[in-house]
Amino acid sequence: MITGRLSREKPEHYRHVKKPNLGSLRRRFTSLFTGLTFLVLAVTGVLAFLRPFSLSLVGLHALVGFLFIVLVGLHVTNNRRPLKGYLHSRSLWVTLTLTVLIAVVIWQRPAPVRALMGLSANLGPAQERFEMSEGEMVFQYAPDPSYRMQLTIKTGPAYNIATPPRVAIWLENQGAYHIKTLLVPEASAAGTLPYWSFKREGWEKAKREAEEEANIDAVSAATPNGSFDPADYILPADPDNPMPYRLLIEIDQTGDSHGSVEDQASLVYSVEIDNASPQTFQLLDLVGYPQQEEDRDGKEAWALYYVDEGFGSALDLIDSALLTIDRSE
Amino acid sequence: MKERTSPTDRRDFLQQSLLGTAGAGIAIASSAHVTAAEIPDAAEPEITQEVDVLVVGGGTAGIIAAIQAGRSGAKTLLIERNAQLGGTTTTGGVAFPGLFDAWGKQVIAGIGWELVKECVELDGGKLPNFAKVPQRHWMNQVHINQFLYALLAEEKCAEAGVQIACYEFPGSLTATGSGWQVDCVGFGTRRRVLCQQIIDCTGGAEVAGMAGFERLHEDERQPGSYLFKLGKPHEPAATQLHRLYVHGADSTNSRTVTEANLTGRKAILAKLRKDKQRLMHLQPETGFRESFRIVGETMITVNDYTSGRLFEDAISNAFYPVDLHTKSGVKPKPLKPGTVPTIPLRALVPKGSRNILVAGRCLSSDRLANSGLRVQASCMGMGQAAGVAAALAAKSGTTPLEVPLAEIRQTLRDHGQIVPGKA
Repeated sequence: MITGRLSREKPEHYRHVKKPNLGSLRRRFTSLFTGLTFLVLAVTGVLAFLRPFSLSLVGLHALVGFLFIVLVGLHVTNNRRPLKGYLHSRSLWVTLTLTVLIAVVIWQRPAPVRALMGLSANLGPAQERFEMSEGEMVFQYAPDPSYRMQLTIKTGPAYNIATPPRVAIWLENQGAYHIKTLLVPEASAAGTLPYWSFKREGWEKAKREAEEEANIDAVSAATPNGSFDPADYILPADPDNPMPYRLLIEIDQTGDSHGSVEDQASLVYSVEIDNASPQTFQLLDLVGYPQQEEDRDGKEAWALYYVDEGFGSALDLIDSALLTIDRSE
Repeated sequence: MKERTSPTDRRDFLQQSLLGTAGAGIAIASSAHVTAAEIPDAAEPEITQEVDVLVVGGGTAGIIAAIQAGRSGAKTLLIERNAQLGGTTTTGGVAFPGLFDAWGKQVIAGIGWELVKECVELDGGKLPNFAKVPQRHWMNQVHINQFLYALLAEEKCAEAGVQIACYEFPGSLTATGSGWQVDCVGFGTRRRVLCQQIIDCTGGAEVAGMAGFERLHEDERQPGSYLFKLGKPHEPAATQLHRLYVHGADSTNSRTVTEANLTGRKAILAKLRKDKQRLMHLQPETGFRESFRIVGETMITVNDYTSGRLFEDAISNAFYPVDLHTKSGVKPKPLKPGTVPTIPLRALVPKGSRNILVAGRCLSSDRLANSGLRVQASCMGMGQAAGVAAALAAKSGTTPLEVPLAEIRQTLRDHGQIVPGKA
């Protein structure tokens, strides 16, 4: 006769497997919830880096982040005993130092970090900001915490916020070669801004050719006016020997007639920036208007011509353009 | 060194020799010979002559000063230490004078522009379009054929009745009651010139210095440029020459000029050996940027220059960035849009002088202002103004500063020059 309790032994292969201790319902809930919110944060974080700014995406990431903070707090409370053990571990100091170091480096945004941010379709453009209002257009560009540029364009009487003019902002070296576009003009049925477009295409072509020829010096070396890297001009590796560069804007109001002229050409303003003689405030000067012509080889080119009597309201699009460079830390 | 074209074999040699002989024969038989005029008393080493205006230095400013003085009716003698006229433009090879324009308008014209324009047109070249914004300041410099320029300068001097005396330079000068006695020395020639007015266009105010007027000289000067061409042939006004900076170059006297030239040429010889390239072109002299400048009745400061100060006695415009060359190169400081510096007559008059003017880079200016004022178009403008002032002073028996400014300005306008301001 069989006595005692009915044997409920598990098969052999189960015998040595210990059932995981999932703890109480509260613990299980917290852990799962923390893990899943982390998943949301990870996915939205990667997407926020890769894709242009999206309110839904960044909003989701930020608000779930707050929830994640609460859940992590609960998770820490649930696991305070084992976590306490970490406080006495040597690894604590190593990881703490590493974390602080990473945070400081990212916060300071040195060149490699800026380059990484530049790869982001969201963070890259956020390094530059353009705002347009009725009274002024403000463009901010901070390639470094110690080098913050702001271009404030005070609008003129011909400016209309309802039909704002197209604006391009870019940098050129002393050789009048485009080195970086700071603001791409809004796409328009009227086409692109001709002078900026011509300069940028020339730069892209020259850069491509230099890269094809594997002429490393021409691509990256900080040789006077031979570099394609804007950093060589804005923040030169050798601060004692900076290369002056120019900031230019091209501005155009589509269909702005004047006298017998149906559509006045765009106007180009510029200012030279010389880090050897740093100035905080500099006004941009009117340079001229672009006109298509042929270069020596018979190819299409755009050159600037001094403004003549063919211009009226185009000259009133802006009142003044002030460049401010804050070089303080 | 690169191989020249295929070595000449015996057959080629004979053919070329024959053709060369025949060619020479044809040339001699047709038009390639002329006869120089007989110089009266050529064997006599000492001569004396009287002129109204003596221009010393047949360079950028001197040619224009002499032509203007001649056209204004003054009996004019132009003394030049080298073999040809043109100075920095021809002997130095800096054959791209400028800048005649600023901000879309011509600001310097007159005889200098007339000469440059004719040179370009005769050479089949193209003048810059002043309505076009130059992407860099030097883009509106006018590229000319230096050899043609020297010939045209001689022709225009002759047309203006200017007598040219090459290979000569003043050895001493003495003030006389009505002007100056200048004793010039050349090879086989000792020329005593009695003149009413002197225009010192030597570049380094050598005559003003000789007369005892105060001059300024920097311990460290801007480098000179020795121009040459290795490898490819040089086509005047179409291709660029190679440039060698000659640091320490000083045009003060024959010894310093010799030293600069020998140093430059030695370096070029070393370079062609190293690069194994043929020497295709070599200027005979260094192009100098800086030596002495006078202390004048007024001095143009860099603030005057960069602010475009309109002097009350302004007689000429100038235009160029502040452009100081140093051992580490040059970083031109462009002028602010709309700025056109002016040159006052008093900056051409040595302080305390009566019958002597300077024109060219030795005008009274501080060093930074001078780095912009020294360029050719500005020097041509000064030369023409000095030519007018000296000729009018000689004609009226006064000093250049006593000639009414309105008369100087009107004469300048009559001869095609652009006078600053509305006065």
